Amino acid sequence: MMIEFLQTEKIMQALQHFSLILLIVSNFLLIIGFGVGKIVLHKSEDKIKFFARFTVMICILLITYFLSILLFTIGSIFSANAANSLIFPIFLFLPFVIGKFATYEKVHFYTNIQLVTLIISFIIALLIL
Amino acid sequence: MEKSLDFEFIHKNKCKRAVLLFHGMTGSPYEMKKMGKALFDADFDVFCYCLPGHGTSPINIKTVKWQDWYNDSVLHYKELTQKYDEVYLGGLCLGAVLAIAIAEEYRDVRGIVSLSTTLFLDGWTIPWYNFFMPIGVHTILRYYYSFPEREPYGLKNEVLRKKIAALQKRNTEALDNYPMSCIYELLKFSKLTRKNISKVTAPILLMHAKEDDLTSTKSAEFVYNNISSKIKNYIKLKNSYHLIVMDYERDYVFEKSIEFFNSLSDFAPEKTKQFSQQERAGV
Repeated sequence: MMIEFLQTEKIMQALQHFSLILLIVSNFLLIIGFGVGKIVLHKSEDKIKFFARFTVMICILLITYFLSILLFTIGSIFSANAANSLIFPIFLFLPFVIGKFATYEKVHFYTNIQLVTLIISFIIALLIL
Repeated sequence: MEKSLDFEFIHKNKCKRAVLLFHGMTGSPYEMKKMGKALFDADFDVFCYCLPGHGTSPINIKTVKWQDWYNDSVLHYKELTQKYDEVYLGGLCLGAVLAIAIAEEYRDVRGIVSLSTTLFLDGWTIPWYNFFMPIGVHTILRYYYSFPEREPYGLKNEVLRKKIAALQKRNTEALDNYPMSCIYELLKFSKLTRKNISKVTAPILLMHAKEDDLTSTKSAEFVYNNISSKIKNYIKLKNSYHLIVMDYERDYVFEKSIEFFNSLSDFAPEKTKQFSQQERAGV
């Protein structure tokens, strides 16, 4: 019984570690993605195909980011570091909250807010690591 | 520039019936012009106006909300009801959704011709990565992304395709892309329209291409099955894609629309009216 419990805890710790690395990588790429997007958005708005592919890439990164947060939270709940499970779920909702209020006229402002939240989650992830 | 694409076909002698046409998403009154002329020849005064955000710079369409489209359309509808005894509505794509939404609120709509109704974006040209759409439309990414318009441009008629492709490059009569923010507004508007669909009691004629590239027949079937209208007809077109007012079967679409409006009108030419009533009765 004790061995089974220890094995489960080991799996959960491994899951937590793996998801944290995935979170850091996807988070870093998202910061670069949104940063580049912010710079080139109005400069090359006529490049529809480029932006279509670029946005699909960011979408894939966002999904990876969300999944890693979910995995990390699950891993944290079942491991000794339960307090960590409370930190990241908020970052799951923030992109949608920002999206709700965003307008085209203020797209740069809201992209900045998005970037700030991503940088915060990146720093927290690094500190936990 | 914005208002130059609008058209009003008005008879010299006072006409008692009018048709208000609505164009589709990222389109312009240009696509409804032939239908407008056909209706005008059939003794209707016809009006079609550029929806907010359309017919100007492509950037403008990213700033509009569905409420802008709806309020503008209602305003035109109300203006016409002051001047005419009978006001009919007709629309393509987003325009069809607008016509239905107006009929949900205003019970005095005499009749609707709903063409390529777009309540769901599930046509066969929607890209494979469509399943990312919820992430795209609900985050800030909706201002980054545009669906690039591509072959077949909503047309089965290959000769017309080239003409439309050239027009789209000018980005006035039609855009060469669908901005995600515009799709977001359409989806929100469609959702609301679906929710209130049972409020529609106006007679309706739905026409939808079996092979519509942007929206499948699911949208037209949803409307047909859920409205409360006693007079409702649904025609599936076999040789067109999304732009049925320009494609191979456009003359048939015009003919059926005129026939439908005449069958409801108190001011229709007698022969047409009798024919339509017999047809409706199954004679």
